[in-house]
Amino acid sequence: MPLTPEHIDKFITSESDSKTKSELLELLNNRIKKLCFEECERDRILCTLSPMCSKRFLLKLRLLNGLSIEDQPKFCYSVHKNIIQRDFRNKTVIYKPFDTYLYLIDFLDVFFHGDYRKLNKFLSKGDTDQAIEIFEDRIKNRDEDFQYFLTTDKNYLIFKFDDRIHILFLKEKYALCNANRENIVNLEIIKGLSDLFSSLYFPEIERILIPDNHVELKTYIPRDVINKISQEPPEDDENKRDQYFWNTFANDLDALSQFCKEINLYINKKGNLKIELHLDTSNSIRYRDLRLVFNIIFRLYNEFYIIWV
Amino acid sequence: MSEKQPENPEISKIKDFMKDERFDDVVNIIALYLGDATDEDYLDRLEDVIETLMLLHGGRTVLRFLIERLIIDIPSLLENLSKRDSVLRYSFLLLLKSMCENEWDLFLPYSEDLLNSDDPNVREADLQLLIFIAGGEMNIEDESLIRAITEKLNDEKDFVVKKAIQALSAIGMDKPSLVTRVITNYVKEFPEDSILKDYADKILKSIVSVEGIEEIVEEEEEKEDVEGEEAEIIDKELELKKKKIEIQKKKMELEEKEKELEEQYIQEKERALKLKEDKIDTEVQKPSKREELPKKVKKKIKKEESDILDKEIELKKKDLEIKKKKIELELREKELEEKAIEKKEEALKIKEELIEKENELSRVELELKQKKIKEKEKKLLEEELDRADEYFNKEEGKK
Repeated sequence: MPLTPEHIDKFITSESDSKTKSELLELLNNRIKKLCFEECERDRILCTLSPMCSKRFLLKLRLLNGLSIEDQPKFCYSVHKNIIQRDFRNKTVIYKPFDTYLYLIDFLDVFFHGDYRKLNKFLSKGDTDQAIEIFEDRIKNRDEDFQYFLTTDKNYLIFKFDDRIHILFLKEKYALCNANRENIVNLEIIKGLSDLFSSLYFPEIERILIPDNHVELKTYIPRDVINKISQEPPEDDENKRDQYFWNTFANDLDALSQFCKEINLYINKKGNLKIELHLDTSNSIRYRDLRLVFNIIFRLYNEFYIIWV
Repeated sequence: MSEKQPENPEISKIKDFMKDERFDDVVNIIALYLGDATDEDYLDRLEDVIETLMLLHGGRTVLRFLIERLIIDIPSLLENLSKRDSVLRYSFLLLLKSMCENEWDLFLPYSEDLLNSDDPNVREADLQLLIFIAGGEMNIEDESLIRAITEKLNDEKDFVVKKAIQALSAIGMDKPSLVTRVITNYVKEFPEDSILKDYADKILKSIVSVEGIEEIVEEEEEKEDVEGEEAEIIDKELELKKKKIEIQKKKMELEEKEKELEEQYIQEKERALKLKEDKIDTEVQKPSKREELPKKVKKKIKKEESDILDKEIELKKKDLEIKKKKIELELREKELEEKAIEKKEEALKIKEELIEKENELSRVELELKQKKIKEKEKKLLEEELDRADEYFNKEEGKK
């Protein structure tokens, strides 16, 4: 039986001799270098249309490890940027650039082309107020349609263009574009996303950050709605409320339980059904998972809470 | 929680017509759509069209029509694509692949010019199209085009050089000897350029297979054979010329020999005649052994011999006379020809004299006419003066 990647993976985790490990990793590193800088970029058409690493993940490997643009294969990175730009402009792309990373200046170039130098200057210096002025100007005076949110500790800027989420890592000076399957790395981002979505879709939902622990999202279903739910399984298909609580609510709670550290359901003093969700990063919650949580909250809010109010 | 942007109406129309396979209508719509574009939005529109065609079934057919009808021309298309991102550029180039393979005549006429474009992206795109063409049924045999591609091995842009290497390798698969020759000749022009040599090595290694080597060797052998044959032909020609000269010499010699023989023959005959005459004389003077023969027989023989000799002499005389007459006739003919020429010359001289005389006559006539006109003018003036005098005299008389 030939050697498989699983064998190597197992060997690296179990091997105690660091020299052996480093030798093996050096082999891998050399192979990556050759692949990126010689084999893949040899033919620019191939590099553009069928890169040798899927969705150019080796760029991400370098970027997340703090390597600069000088350390990246230049043409490959330029194509990578182009793909994100084309996707942003609704042009056809070879693959959808979900969970792709760009250096800060390139992100600003793609999404805020006219002001990218200024924005890069402000954000690099930590002058977020000046940057926000530019964002506001673009929204109010230049008919640009996007939303943004600066997190509480000013470490992250979250952007929402249509249904796409981009996270700017201000300290690290890079951006995650079209966040989807990537894990959310900390509570500050969860809180920031909750605040952004809350401001747009469910403004009256409570959001509390318990530092180093979790983010709490609190919503409730009013007593009147609860009281009107039939005691028997619904026969009428048109009664949305009964249909939801008898057929879907349990599934939604089940789904939420997969992504939440804790779910608390209780009837408060006023007779309303309180739903308290505790979100943290220990469950490796992804951006798409959080979107699903927000969708359920939005449904409860939109169909039962807002109508009642 | 999501929104979508509305689609361009022209593009929607194109898509609808494409569904119904109304390719001609699609071509017309695109022609109008691009025709109405301003300088600013032409590229955006072109990109929209290309993107749409790339994604739709039948897009290549429409694209072929657009190129054939010069709504989109290849050089400006490549130049415009160069201004756009690499994703669009290369995706579109791939769309042209099958067209290059089967309808290379749409692209080849522009290839050499595009290789010299100032824009490296255009040069690269052109080389890519050539790679596609070489990958099809077409064998690129144009030596100047191969030379132009080879020159790109010295291009300032690394990606153009890489593409040129690929192009030469692709062309060399079908024409190894031609590509090998062009490359080696080019490399010889830059004997100190080691990088160029490396590139050449790379291409030659990719071209040369066992079959390729055989082909090259065969072609070289054929060349050698041809050269050998040419040399042989030249040698044979020389030999033939020599032989001709020899034959001519021999002919001359033969003629000379014939003449000599004739002279000898004549001399011998003359001698024989003299001897016969002498014999006759001596026989008349001295009695010979024939005296022993009966006298009548001897006389007869003598007579007969003398008759034969007489006849021979007469014949020779006649021959000489005929020759003389011939020579005389030739001389007369020559004299007549000379006379005819002289007469013609005289006639020409007379004609010239006549023409001169006619000219003189016409001059004299003109002078006469002019004189007559002057005389008439004088008469008129005099008459008018007389009338004027008479008028004044009358007027004075009245006063």
